[in-house]
Amino acid sequence: MPPPTGPAGSRRRAGPVAALLAVGLVAGIFLSATVGSEWIPFAAVLAILAREVGLGGGFAPCAGLAVAPSQCTVWTEIVWDARMPSILVAVFAGAALALSGGTLQGVFRNPLADPYLLGISSGAAVGAAILLTFQLAVADQATLLPVFAFGGALVPGLVIYAAASGRRRGPESLVLTGVALSALFSAVLATFLFYNPAAGLQLSFWLLGNLQAETWTDAAIVAGVVVAGGTLIALSGRELNVLQLGPAIAESVGVEATRHTRRLILLSTVVTATSVAFTGVIGFVGLVSPHVVRLIVGPDYRKVLPISALFGGVFLLVAWDLALRILPPLALPVGIPTSFVGVPFFLYLLYRRRPVGP
Amino acid sequence: MNGAPRADEAALELEGVSVAYGATWALRDVSLRLGPGEVVGLAGPNGSGKSTLLAAAAGLLGPAEGSVRIGGSDLRRQRPATRARRVAWMPQEEPPGDNVPLRDYVEYGRYAWSDRWLPPSGADRAATDRALTETDLLGLVGRGIGELSGGERQRARLARVLAQETAYLLLDEPTAYLDIGHQLDVLERIRSFAHRERRGVLLALHDLNLAARFTDRIAVLARGRVVADGPPTEILSPGLLGEVWGIAAEVRRDPTSGLPYLLPQLFERTPSRPSAAVPRRVHVVAGGGSGAALLRSLLEHGFAASAGVLPLFDTDTELAHDLGVPTAVELPFAPIAAETLGQLDRLLDAAEAVIVAPFPVGPTNLANLERLAAWVGRRPTFLLDQPAGVRWDFTDGRATAVRDELQRRGAASGAGVEAAIAWLGRLPSVSPPA
Repeated sequence: MPPPTGPAGSRRRAGPVAALLAVGLVAGIFLSATVGSEWIPFAAVLAILAREVGLGGGFAPCAGLAVAPSQCTVWTEIVWDARMPSILVAVFAGAALALSGGTLQGVFRNPLADPYLLGISSGAAVGAAILLTFQLAVADQATLLPVFAFGGALVPGLVIYAAASGRRRGPESLVLTGVALSALFSAVLATFLFYNPAAGLQLSFWLLGNLQAETWTDAAIVAGVVVAGGTLIALSGRELNVLQLGPAIAESVGVEATRHTRRLILLSTVVTATSVAFTGVIGFVGLVSPHVVRLIVGPDYRKVLPISALFGGVFLLVAWDLALRILPPLALPVGIPTSFVGVPFFLYLLYRRRPVGP
Repeated sequence: MNGAPRADEAALELEGVSVAYGATWALRDVSLRLGPGEVVGLAGPNGSGKSTLLAAAAGLLGPAEGSVRIGGSDLRRQRPATRARRVAWMPQEEPPGDNVPLRDYVEYGRYAWSDRWLPPSGADRAATDRALTETDLLGLVGRGIGELSGGERQRARLARVLAQETAYLLLDEPTAYLDIGHQLDVLERIRSFAHRERRGVLLALHDLNLAARFTDRIAVLARGRVVADGPPTEILSPGLLGEVWGIAAEVRRDPTSGLPYLLPQLFERTPSRPSAAVPRRVHVVAGGGSGAALLRSLLEHGFAASAGVLPLFDTDTELAHDLGVPTAVELPFAPIAAETLGQLDRLLDAAEAVIVAPFPVGPTNLANLERLAAWVGRRPTFLLDQPAGVRWDFTDGRATAVRDELQRRGAASGAGVEAAIAWLGRLPSVSPPA
């Protein structure tokens, strides 16, 4: 069952689509900074961000707005120290999940592949939970979180890789393996959460994803790993294209199929684990984004991967805004809106008629 | 052109290659040579190791026993990109994959040539264009690979392999799923391309008739071993077919091309005997298809027949063989040997009558008529009229003289098979069994 592709071999213009998404992403970042427990005027957000990044010169951030200076200071703290890290983590985590989903779909030639459905996200969460539950290396927690998350994600990653190279490699069996692993790791995670001696863990954070309480350090780590890992992934578009013909044909035209497959699974695991370490488990971003992008720009992975990253960033950002707006002043776990969008889409992919192939 | 093979390109050589899947040998000590410009068919029953041999020749099955090389080092130890510039491989099946535009799909074949950091070079585009032209797909470049018909799709796969610009191409059942028209089309493209561009092609084919028609050599595999390797005319024999495929088949020759073709038999032939009574035997002298209608008619009317002397591979010879008619046979274009004339004498002796079909007579088969002169008094003889206005005597009148002599000595004559059968009916000693 090949991933669904756009109508025919139409070569749509990927450039305009990417540009549109990039503009949407930047606009989304600004707009999102106005949303939260307190609404902050767009003009103030613009001024605060301009000053913080050094563009504002000597202007007072809230000049021209009928706001008390103390209010302005509070807003600055909210926008720059509270909201921006969360927004950036949302953007880069969304990009990471989308890239990871697109890569796994390509590597396994399976439209249902996704770090969440395959249990890689839950594995990463267990790894991170081990660090937090036992309060290891308290001083370096932020830097070590992705490392532990990666260790945890590697377990389902390897099992899935073995399952996909094994005899039973139908698309459903891969996903069922993932579902089983996911259930197992969720149970392990729940055990840690109930044990939780230091109360360092929140159930909803880990199981449904949350972008509250992100710091600039968190954002810097996620951004750094995702940009580096994502670039390496996106550069493998050519190999992923050829790998769609199966590893044997790929080898015959000169692709080192095994090496690239392993490398891509590893990179997907790294970027997924890093984002999960700071956001918890967020479902369906990785499943939906590449499919939507494929419908628009066609099946070429050289275009699908980078544009999916942009799309995933926008998707998770919008989901985060929704999570903040559905039941204000409560911030819902961000995995709730992504699931609302993702589950119907997943069912559609599962029951959609297989395309007729030769 | 970077990929075009040089005239001094070394041959692709497999030496002592063995491959095992688990405990069973898929290939056992296989040695095979494929030279530039050579089209070699790989034949063998299902499971004989053809696909394994092709994958091994492409260097895709990890270093096991034996060696696979084009000149230098073992292909299986080369980097995939290096290997992919020398050998292209097309397996029998391919996952349906994405609905990629045809041109992008063919360009996958350029992977080993093109630069990761640059868009496709002029050479890449030119190679892709040539591959599309060679497979007659240029008109379809706008289509997606998933929108092509089976025949177009197969040509697209071939184009992908051609775009690789390798000296050697290994094709596993390139005609699978194709109708007969597309089979001929694809094979002719492959053959003419290989000969024109001096590329070596090894292709697995189930259809031995197609293999005989389109290949320079056939290698036959049975249970992982090469059991025969040579030109189709030399190696295709009923014995080999029985041994390797377990079938009874005749190997005939196409009269126009001289190529062998097979006629498998579903059951043992039982000569038709219309009655329990021993039928009267009539000897037919013919050639070049002139005796076909006569032989059939005789058997239909309940006579037995013999024939000769006929050249090997003559259509009359093959029909006589088919009908189970005893025939004296001589090599084509050779004068009739004394020994063969002895056979003819024995057949004439066993016959009750002789009918001479209107066949062209040349120096090599003139002896047929001359021999009849000795028998015309002892066996009733009927000469079918030579068609008017068609030259049949290629012996400077000697054949005409013999024919006149036969008539003078009492041979009857007339036009048409019906006249001959009627004549047989009037003979007192020769009557069809009731």
